[in-house]
Amino acid sequence: MEAAKPAALQFVSRGPISRALEREGTLAFWLLAPTLLILTVFIAYPFVLGVWLSLSNSTVGEPGHFIGLANFHKIFADSIFRTAAINTFVYTGITTVFKLALGLWLALLLNRHFRGKAWIRAFILLPFIIPTVLSTLAWKWMFDPTFSVFNWLFWKMHIINSRINWLGDPELAMGSIMIVNVWRGVPFYAISLLAGLQTINPDLHEAAAIDGANRWQRFRHVTWPLLLPVTMVVVLFSVIQTFADFQLVYVLTGGGPANATHLFATYAYQIGIGTGLLSEGAAISLAMFPALLLVVVFQLWYIRKVENR
Amino acid sequence: MIEGARWRKWVWFYLPLGAFILALLFPFYWMIVTTVRPDGELYRPWNHPLYSPFWTSNPTLDHVKSLLQETLFNTWMLNTMFIAFVATVISLVCGVIAGYALARLTFRWAGILGTAIFVTYLVPQTLLFIPLAEIIRDYRIGDTPWALILTYPTFLIPFCTWLMMGYFKAIPRELEECARIDGAARWQAMLYIIFPIAVPGILSAGIFAFTLSWNEFIYALVFLSSPEQKTVPVGVTSELIRGDVFFWGSLMAGALIGSIPVAVVYSFFVEHYVAGMTGSVKG
Amino acid sequence: MARFTRRKFLQASGAGLAGILASHQAPVLAQQRTVHWIKWNDFVPASDELLRKTMLPEAMKALGIKINLETVNGNDLQPRVTSAIQSGSGPDVFMLFNNHPHIYGASSVDVSDVADAIGKAQGGYYNVAKANTMDGKKVLSVPWAVIGAEIAYRKSWFDEIGLSKFPETWEQYHDAGKKLKAKGRPIGQTLGHTFGDAPTFSYPLLWSFGGKEVDEQGKVALDSKETLESVKFMQAFWKDAHDEGGLAWDDTNNNRAFLSGTISATLNGASIYIETLRKPDQYKTEKNTPMKDDIRHSPLPRGPKGQFGFHLFQSHMVMRYSKNQEAAKEFLKWIHDPKNYERWFVSQKGYSTPPAAMWEKHKMWDEDPVMAPFKIAARLGLSPGYAGPPNRKAAEVLTKYIITDMYAKAVQGMSPQEAVKWAAGEVRQIYSAT
Repeated sequence: MEAAKPAALQFVSRGPISRALEREGTLAFWLLAPTLLILTVFIAYPFVLGVWLSLSNSTVGEPGHFIGLANFHKIFADSIFRTAAINTFVYTGITTVFKLALGLWLALLLNRHFRGKAWIRAFILLPFIIPTVLSTLAWKWMFDPTFSVFNWLFWKMHIINSRINWLGDPELAMGSIMIVNVWRGVPFYAISLLAGLQTINPDLHEAAAIDGANRWQRFRHVTWPLLLPVTMVVVLFSVIQTFADFQLVYVLTGGGPANATHLFATYAYQIGIGTGLLSEGAAISLAMFPALLLVVVFQLWYIRKVENR
Repeated sequence: MIEGARWRKWVWFYLPLGAFILALLFPFYWMIVTTVRPDGELYRPWNHPLYSPFWTSNPTLDHVKSLLQETLFNTWMLNTMFIAFVATVISLVCGVIAGYALARLTFRWAGILGTAIFVTYLVPQTLLFIPLAEIIRDYRIGDTPWALILTYPTFLIPFCTWLMMGYFKAIPRELEECARIDGAARWQAMLYIIFPIAVPGILSAGIFAFTLSWNEFIYALVFLSSPEQKTVPVGVTSELIRGDVFFWGSLMAGALIGSIPVAVVYSFFVEHYVAGMTGSVKG
Repeated sequence: MARFTRRKFLQASGAGLAGILASHQAPVLAQQRTVHWIKWNDFVPASDELLRKTMLPEAMKALGIKINLETVNGNDLQPRVTSAIQSGSGPDVFMLFNNHPHIYGASSVDVSDVADAIGKAQGGYYNVAKANTMDGKKVLSVPWAVIGAEIAYRKSWFDEIGLSKFPETWEQYHDAGKKLKAKGRPIGQTLGHTFGDAPTFSYPLLWSFGGKEVDEQGKVALDSKETLESVKFMQAFWKDAHDEGGLAWDDTNNNRAFLSGTISATLNGASIYIETLRKPDQYKTEKNTPMKDDIRHSPLPRGPKGQFGFHLFQSHMVMRYSKNQEAAKEFLKWIHDPKNYERWFVSQKGYSTPPAAMWEKHKMWDEDPVMAPFKIAARLGLSPGYAGPPNRKAAEVLTKYIITDMYAKAVQGMSPQEAVKWAAGEVRQIYSAT
């Protein structure tokens, strides 16, 4: 209150615009207008257009006409689509579990005091900061069938006799993309959960320890419940991103081998842009939306439940 | 405060932490080694007797040179910087004022609009890229940086908005009340009192937006055609694979150098970045 | 919405100009015509260099047109053409593979004036060229070249197992492969989604057993006994004789594997051999002799119903959205002029076969006997969609890799019956759509 008033406040301009902006509703309108404009033009409108595309038979260069749900019939009968759908759920589910578990573990480790803590916390985030495409290229090189460093390592350790086909064997390829996704996501989970951990009052731990709880019980009854809100938010963000993932699979396997690692996004790209069948591609993309919505609604409901407990 | 013998400290703390650090940072080390490894060594199969993955005895800058001189890498860096910067500015402006409106002003549509903005975040780029390509064509901004500068805010703004909402909610209302009592208009209170206090939040949001812009791929892949227009992620993946050969040396050099701007920006503002991430998560 | 569009457009163009200046691009001078040509990264780098350093500057002098050459990874041509058509701007001359012109035909400019003249003057186009570029109503693209696909193999290794001549039938090749894989020298073949080496293997394999996608009446005929035989064969052949990493390979992996001595034979264009010619000191066999002396070529083996080949076909399409259509056509005429085209053809050293008959007599073919099989590649090739016409539907089947996937699924464990059933179902869906 002792601070000098900024110059602008000294002459109080009460022109008509200023007066109009006094009303909360009007000010809010103008403050939100640019955002709403951009989001309407570049999200809402394309979304509607995407729905229209998926109900038509347009292909590249040939605007089509309305054909109802034929595209959806076609893709649901397409076994590659079904594979992509299952892959997306499996990929999201498994990586989220691992990211959460490993991220939590790392957060607990980072929650202690040790030398170089600040540096390490900064470096830990690198996998998340670096553009995904660039770090995935490094992984692609590490997984290369002929030149893989992991193969060399395991060979030297006498764990394997012949080559591990990281990206060429269909199941291994799924495993490989999950490894890269977990590698990329653990820092995000770790840092966010760390922030959550730091808001937990250490007195609570002391009290529980005095009451005779061992480490594991303290974690289960003190740490975990208090961490739950933060955890759910982090998981929500992460699930949305992972479900719609494109870059990682595109760079690492392109959806192969033999369509074994396709996700919704990469398959939509292959059909829509690669093959030029735009309307089918749009249908595949849209098929992602209800599933995503369900997952998100469920999580939001769960968060609300947890918060109200 | 780790009770118990030294070895316990090692097993439960140092080893796991070390393992995590190794696993998380090894790929970057690999990028660096590959970048300076000469071609003859680079293309040795893994069961070749002379395979020495972890270091090289003849480091070379050939790959870096070929990257910078024989490809359009420099142009891609400039493009990406330009696009990321402008998109960040647009998103910050929109996100800050929208965040303020939703956090501080009471009006009828507040709840619905807040939810609406959240819902747009659920619509992934991989859903929109096909119809957006048509829109980009109709506005005739295809194959220009503007195709990206105008579309990136679609996923940057929601994020900035929430981040700022969290920050604004934490600022006591009394500050504005005092300013208004002192005669300031509502918008002046917002601009001259609240925003300066929220600068750390704005910085966090800006850095986040900057790194997210660098990370975007599919819009850049689909909306840009000409090599001179490309961004670093698209350029590196599409132009460094020539003919029969993946030029791994230059590819890794490109990946490494392409990561530097983001890493530098991040390193200057680490605390803000982390604070922003945690703030958004808690808020 | 209109106000927004105009205002944003003006803002965009104003700032766009600033952006252009900021990225050091010189604005195009009013009088100079430019043509943006996009083609794949040639697997024979010397030819792209010839174009960039010598031929395109000559074109500029001769025609007053600046040619902007862009080369991309072959697998990226299709996404590029879709994005370009969708965004209404992009390269003026687009290289396309195989029967893809049929997919993008609606966005092409009729080039019959250019193509017909070339065909007539150069001894007539081969059937495969005509099939891929003409849809009966207009000429979709100007044929450019055919890349012969042959099996490149290590002569010394085949000699060691007692074969001085390359196996003639699939059974013999299977036997040879078994022996070679036992010595750690498997056959390398991709069954991945890559434009070159995968379809050029899977389609002829299918045809050589008598299988076909469509019969002469246009009915889908893929699920037949013959197709089943070919799939059963491939399943065993893969396990016994192939490098199983091939499922994830693209067009470059087999080159690298061959050059590093990990596979003994692979179907490929001539790029492996040409690369060893380029750097004879770098590519040595395990006995330290130059690898170029150990490489021979052979066509794919014969199956019960014949011997077939499917060779990658390339053509150039002039895009309808292009603002430089006349200049593009002039350029295409110029580059197909025999004295210009010949230089490019010679730089390819036989990797490409021209699409017109007159070039079979060219003396370049006599220079290197290792390259002899490639001379008649264009004449012998069949097109996807056989035995029906090579049309848009065949192009869709090709671009969705259905035939390749049929084999890929079987070698991954699916029963041959199911794999064939799946593939036939997919093909039927495509052919029955309007």
